[in-house]
Amino acid sequence: MVSIEHYLILATVVFFCGMFAVLFRRNIIFMMMGIELMLNAVNIVFVSASNELGHLDGQIMVFFVVTVAACEAAIGLAMVIAIFRRYGTINTDFLRVLRG
Amino acid sequence: MLWLVVLFPLLGAILNGFILPKHNKKQSHLVAVLAMVASFVCALITFVDFMGNGGSSTVLFGFDWIRAGGLNVPFELILDRLSGMMLLVVTGIGTLIHIYAGGYMADEKTTYRFFSYLNLFVFMMLLLVLGNNLLVMFVGWEGVGLCSYLLIGYWFEKDENAAAGMKAFLVNRIGDIGFLLGIFLTFKLFGTLSFTELRDAVVDVNSFDPMVLGGIGLITFCLFIGACGKSAQIPLYVWLPDAMAGPTPVSALIHAATMVTAGIYMMTRLNFFYYLAPDTQTLVAIVGAATALFAATIAVVQSDIKKVLAYSTVSQLGYMVLACGVGAYDAGVFHLLTHACFKALLFLGAGSVIVAMHHKQDMFEMGGLKKYMPKTHFVMLVGVLAIIGFPGFSGFFSKDEILWKAFIGDSSHLLWGVGVLAAAFTSFYMVRLLCLTFYGENRSDKHTRDHLHETPAHMWGPLMVLAILSVGIGFIGVPALIGHSIGLENIFEHYLEPIITIPIQAVDNWAYLEAEYDHGLEWLVMGASVVIVFFSAGLAIYLYGSGPKPVTVAMMNRFNRSYNTLLNKYWIDELYFKYFVNPLKQMSLFFYKIIDVKIVDGIVNGIGQAFLMIGGITSFKMSGNLQRHAMVAVIGLFCLLTALAL
Repeated sequence: MVSIEHYLILATVVFFCGMFAVLFRRNIIFMMMGIELMLNAVNIVFVSASNELGHLDGQIMVFFVVTVAACEAAIGLAMVIAIFRRYGTINTDFLRVLRG
Repeated sequence: MLWLVVLFPLLGAILNGFILPKHNKKQSHLVAVLAMVASFVCALITFVDFMGNGGSSTVLFGFDWIRAGGLNVPFELILDRLSGMMLLVVTGIGTLIHIYAGGYMADEKTTYRFFSYLNLFVFMMLLLVLGNNLLVMFVGWEGVGLCSYLLIGYWFEKDENAAAGMKAFLVNRIGDIGFLLGIFLTFKLFGTLSFTELRDAVVDVNSFDPMVLGGIGLITFCLFIGACGKSAQIPLYVWLPDAMAGPTPVSALIHAATMVTAGIYMMTRLNFFYYLAPDTQTLVAIVGAATALFAATIAVVQSDIKKVLAYSTVSQLGYMVLACGVGAYDAGVFHLLTHACFKALLFLGAGSVIVAMHHKQDMFEMGGLKKYMPKTHFVMLVGVLAIIGFPGFSGFFSKDEILWKAFIGDSSHLLWGVGVLAAAFTSFYMVRLLCLTFYGENRSDKHTRDHLHETPAHMWGPLMVLAILSVGIGFIGVPALIGHSIGLENIFEHYLEPIITIPIQAVDNWAYLEAEYDHGLEWLVMGASVVIVFFSAGLAIYLYGSGPKPVTVAMMNRFNRSYNTLLNKYWIDELYFKYFVNPLKQMSLFFYKIIDVKIVDGIVNGIGQAFLMIGGITSFKMSGNLQRHAMVAVIGLFCLLTALAL
């Protein structure tokens, strides 16, 4: 029997995978994939909580997150293309315009 | 009809200012003159109509201008005997000068600008004259000041002309402060600014609250400061001689005939106030007499033909102010009228001479012009005889009236003495001007001499009209004394009677104006001044009749000190610069360099600098590496969560 703890452990693992991708991959596309992973980890928590509590709110929330994630991916990818055109690279080591 | 009088010059100004420059530049003179002629004809019809109805004042309501709390200022025009007369002076002499200006300004490229300003000036002057309350008058007052500034600086390419315009404007501004304070006080005290209402408020009151009387004294004093600025009295006269930098028709119209008389006009309008303030009246009389003498002495040594006329204007304005000061407003206004004619004539004549001399103005380079310019010589002769008060010419009647009133108005006869002395100087420098310009040998260089010529008809035509006026106009105000013997009434005095009202309370103070005097005394006083005038005229003819005699140079050297003092106008300009202008400049420099640049700018820039500095200190952590930033955020989040969990 799969209990809520299993789901939560899965979610945590996925979330940390995503976070490590964001923090340590140098390629922006991989960073964006990391963000997707983190979002989906949250989705898993929502769905499992919804199942556990017998309440639909969590599942509704997931739809919103998926929609927003889609938008974010579209805009993010467009920006990646723009960055590549402008600088010729998408390696974050070379993108340092934020330096103070 | 009255509205048309006012609107035609405005229309001319708009046409010349906005429409003509884009299309046809040649017609600007025609447009301006037509506007003036139309305005003059309307004024004439209005005036005849007005006198036909018995000459009682009428107020024309235009529109509600300001309605704010207790302040209710309608835009009203008043047509009474005083403004009716001024209406004719402004439009009549204005028309003549406009016609003349076409010839004088023929070589200019931007005549439309000139005529637009000139028309605008007439419009503003009419507002000043016709306004039925102090505020409308003030609009005109400021408007003529603006036009004066624009026209003095008409040839603004030369720095000194622009500076002269600025000086005129700034000095007038000092007077305007007085005028404004006067308006405020009037409103505070009476709650209205309308002349008719103010007059009703004071004339029939038997006894005043001392507070109100003191207030009236203060009002009259403040307004007199304004008059000092506009009418070029000590200590604010300094702008008028410099104003000669403008074109000569401007000097004739604005700085001799009309605008500078605004102060006298204003005081006459409010004569019921001034009669109630004997202290102010004394001050006015003293300032007037002092200015008359002071300016006349300066004029004696000037060599620039326009400068002489400028100082003579200041001096003649001094006479008018003196007349106001001794309560003889009718005499003051009469002198205003005659002076407008003969001084416009003299200025325009001088303008013709200047044109013939290729814009040289030094009288010592002229001489013998009678042969080349007989018509100009004739009109200038008439003008000079009028201003020195040659018996029978207009200046004689008006000046004699003022001197007589000054004689009886002051028991020590000091004011009269000063007035006569000024008259002596006047006749000296005016005859000197005439001699140096028209008689003796020609002293100009050959090139100029070969080109000497009489001016065209549209320039000497107006001069002839003015010459006739300069002689004829005196006969409407023949003093009673002479009038009796030749059977002429003093029409002018009767004409102005309804305007000059001595309030009941002050009647005793001014009883001498109506009192009867011994005719012998009157003849004596008149005779004395005529003799003195003749004597100094004779002296001038002796010294300058056929070119300047060597003895004049000897006298210059002998009295070097006084000569230089006069030549440098008593160093008044230098004095003002030393004690007022330069300290003010220093102060503004201090405010600019220390207060503004160091303190105000320092604070503003300092705040910006401070943020930059703080940013600089903290920004070394910002490597620009996105992931390191994210890492810091994540670590921070964990710290927070841990703290929360514990």
